[in-house]
Amino acid sequence: MRRFQLALPRNIDECVKFLAERGPETKVIAGGTDLLPQMKNGLLKPAAVVDLSGVADLRTLRRQDGSGLRVGASVTAREIERDAYVRSAYPALAESGALVGSVQIRNLATVGGNLCNAAPSADMAPPLLALEAEAVVAGPRGRRRVSLSDFFTGVRRTVLAPDELLVELIVPALGPRSGGQYLRHTPRRELDIAVVGVASQITMSDGVCAKARIALAAVAPTPIRATAAEQALEGRPLTAEQIGRAATLAVEAARPISDQRGSADFRRHLVAVLTRRTLTTALERAAR
Amino acid sequence: MATMKTTRDVKGVGLAIPRPDGPEKVTGQVQYVADLKPRGLLHAKLFRSPHAHARVVSIDTTRARALPGVRAVLTAADIPELKRKAPTRAHAVLAIDRVVFVGQPIAAVAADELAIAEEALDLIEVRYEVLRAAVDPLESMKPGAPPVADAGTEADTSEALAHGSVAGVATEAKPSKAVNISQQAKLQRGDVAKGFAESDVVIEKTYRVPMVHQGYLEPHAVLAQWDTNGLLTLWVSTQGSFNTRSEVADVLELPENRIKVIPMECGGGFGGKIRALCEPITAILARATGRPVRYVMTRREELEAGNPAPQVIIRLKTGVKRDGTLMALEAESVIESGAFSGAVLTVSGVFLASLYLWPAFEVRGFEVLTHKPSIAAYRAPVAPHTIFALDSHMEQIARVLGVDPVEFRLRHLQREGSPMANNQPWLNNGGVEVLTRIAEHPFWKQRAEWKASGDARRLRGTGLALGGWLGGLQPTGATVRLNPDGSLSVLTGQVDIAGTNIALAQIAASAYGIDVDKVRITTGDTDVAPVTGLSAGSKTVYTVGVAVMEAAKDARNQTLEIAAKEMEASIHDLEIENERVVVRGLPDRGVTLAQIGKKGNLYMSKVPPVLGVSHPAFSQQAPAFAAELARIEVDPETGDVTLHGFVVVQDVGKAINPLGVEGQMQGGAVQSLGMALTEALTYDDAGRLTNPSLLDYRKLTAADLPNIETIIVEKPSPAGPFGARGVGEPPIVPAPAAIANAVHDATGVRLTELPLTPERIALAIAAQPAARRPAS
Repeated sequence: MRRFQLALPRNIDECVKFLAERGPETKVIAGGTDLLPQMKNGLLKPAAVVDLSGVADLRTLRRQDGSGLRVGASVTAREIERDAYVRSAYPALAESGALVGSVQIRNLATVGGNLCNAAPSADMAPPLLALEAEAVVAGPRGRRRVSLSDFFTGVRRTVLAPDELLVELIVPALGPRSGGQYLRHTPRRELDIAVVGVASQITMSDGVCAKARIALAAVAPTPIRATAAEQALEGRPLTAEQIGRAATLAVEAARPISDQRGSADFRRHLVAVLTRRTLTTALERAAR
Repeated sequence: MATMKTTRDVKGVGLAIPRPDGPEKVTGQVQYVADLKPRGLLHAKLFRSPHAHARVVSIDTTRARALPGVRAVLTAADIPELKRKAPTRAHAVLAIDRVVFVGQPIAAVAADELAIAEEALDLIEVRYEVLRAAVDPLESMKPGAPPVADAGTEADTSEALAHGSVAGVATEAKPSKAVNISQQAKLQRGDVAKGFAESDVVIEKTYRVPMVHQGYLEPHAVLAQWDTNGLLTLWVSTQGSFNTRSEVADVLELPENRIKVIPMECGGGFGGKIRALCEPITAILARATGRPVRYVMTRREELEAGNPAPQVIIRLKTGVKRDGTLMALEAESVIESGAFSGAVLTVSGVFLASLYLWPAFEVRGFEVLTHKPSIAAYRAPVAPHTIFALDSHMEQIARVLGVDPVEFRLRHLQREGSPMANNQPWLNNGGVEVLTRIAEHPFWKQRAEWKASGDARRLRGTGLALGGWLGGLQPTGATVRLNPDGSLSVLTGQVDIAGTNIALAQIAASAYGIDVDKVRITTGDTDVAPVTGLSAGSKTVYTVGVAVMEAAKDARNQTLEIAAKEMEASIHDLEIENERVVVRGLPDRGVTLAQIGKKGNLYMSKVPPVLGVSHPAFSQQAPAFAAELARIEVDPETGDVTLHGFVVVQDVGKAINPLGVEGQMQGGAVQSLGMALTEALTYDDAGRLTNPSLLDYRKLTAADLPNIETIIVEKPSPAGPFGARGVGEPPIVPAPAAIANAVHDATGVRLTELPLTPERIALAIAAQPAARRPAS
């Protein structure tokens, strides 16, 4: 690993100030589970690194009565996985947290890191997209909110300017009879990266689907929503046939590549399988 | 040989003893090469080629040399010993003017800190003329393929010699213009054409197993230091310190007795740490700087530029009669050796044509060079690949004939004395026994019930396979000393890579007649230890065990001789009992081992110290077989395979330390399940590795594995210590075939290319005719 300057800010303002001073050659480190391997392999050679471990404000995971959940950027995947409220109210998000890396990695890996690394395969992106989360971003000009749908701009690229920091995610509250699931396919059970990940989130009303959100990972340059599939479900009962149609539409939304983790053909095949399975489970969970 | 006469049952051979080095390893107390920090230590890094095949037009190291903290930057021009025609990978220390694989070292840096050495790499400027690369071995075999070796490079068969595996196979001259075929062999018997003509069922398939990495936890690591007299000391993670010494001496043109190799704790090797890899360049950097230099490969370097197992492609055609009579076998094995020759070519052919008895066969083997890292051994080199083809094939034949697959194998399996393909007779082995035993397992007996218990989302199946290893041989030596307190010190040069030292201590204990806790084994360096061979080829206990046993018997005889004089008794009446030499039947009359030991170490004493010595060579291999059985479940939509149970039955001759044996059986099974399901080094068309990390090079983890049940069969070998056979290699051999057979049983899909990834399985199921596809 190359030598670099390390900054240890104690709060968000200090962090933003350092980023503003050092700008593009700086990387932010939280858990380091994505950043450090890239630095060790020489893929990234930042001149400076801002370590968030001293910034307590980023580590809070708060339930907001009636208005959802606020997830600090430094909340770990393990905390997401184990939080009782997240597990009961947002099972898709808890499931994604439980799939990152291994237990040791999840103890370090953070929600913010998973999103800001902006891998197409980021596990926590699909459930947060399907939950219509918003990102709170701090910069020298104050704070702004960005819909997560607009957060990713390309492979390993986000809307964050070099002097901006992701602070937290705001996850809206869900109505009654809501259900969701995240599933991904990997050749190994642990320590793997999604070949395809699918999150489905639905809300039922009077036997029909009032709202459907489907998000896909690892089938496009960024995590994406399958909006045509969502629209095909809304206002209809979720029969096996409707779910099958949505799965077909989700495949059409996917623009996968072939790489060492899977061929484009297999990825399309998996989008159909996992969309069908997550919608089926989401429907079961909505009925509870 | 099978039993040693001792006066009572000492704690020795046959006792299940945990590895004494276990606790210090799992608590991080053990010192590996990477932990050594001598005064003045410099850190090495290698500048490696980004191209699979290129001419090196120019190298500019000016800026790297100018970086503060950099102590040396070397290129080929700085190394007088370098030869243009490198006979082995080790000799090709740095590329001269052509690179032949991605990751080939071009320049070397030594610096005060690792980070400085890494920075220096960024400052080295190399210009290339990129050349067409031979990436696929089948393409590389064809005339007109871009040549890999420099003209005149000879085939390197030293690996095959080290494994001592197969004799009597004719090798052939290569056809002209096929520049990348570096070795060829052919085995033939009977009239193959006639055999096929008279066959009722002819099956032909091509099986492919990609390059895989051995996956040792500790990467290659070397520390080199020269003293003022020009003596070189190397601290190395190696499977054979004497082999390392010879290779380094050859490359550096040094007398062997001016090199001391200290074998450090070896964090795994599996064949990948037999040949010298980064020892020569580390020694040269230390010479250039006058400082100790340490080089530790990164995981990425290991995967990109280690010495993995070869890709093997086997075209196999068989003909049988409707009644199950074997008629003819024809096969072609292509072994991809990467940029340098060195594959064990003949194992594949011998197993293909010898395991089951074919009246007519013709088997050809080709070692083919490509622009990829050169290969090395990997635990039973090429045997899992060969058995994947052969056993998958035997299963298919049995299914086509509608006969019991175990009975079909048993009917045609070799027996002791029947001729192998190379016309050597099969030696005593337990092939029949392990296959018979595994067929008695409930997983096999209840395979129909297991299959029926599945549903459309969970297809269930069972598969088994049989494989083995012929066993390696190499001269070795050991000494056994009696200490003044009556304990024993055993010295060998053998690297303990698999828990062999505790097994050797058990052998010494039983052979001498003392409890194992009174025996200590030391692995000495090349200056002090008796010459010994590689820790490879399943032969450490099989050969070094004999040396230790004979040295312990020698020490015992010397002990009894001294006691006989002391006690004025006949040596034939003496026994060793409870750490005393006593007269048989008169337990009160005796002299303690400590008394004898002390007398050998006393000022003015006339009693010689007890020093048992043995340095044997060997001629008789002990083939060892394992049968493996998998109970699995397949998700037909995602192709996920869940292992519900896995059984290893292995003939070990005699389990010296049953715990260690079971560990080997489980470890071998785990490695081959990785080969079966997830592992492959994958390359793009330009010869670049596309998965250079353990994230995408998928070794299985504990979460993927079931309990691995071990069943030890003991059919004593005639020549092994206490009847032992080699244990390390057989359990890696059958699993890929067993899994492929189980996947076929579950899904109806027969896959012939490893690994059996979810993608391959799911897409193959999806491509099946709808009638055969499971309902979804």
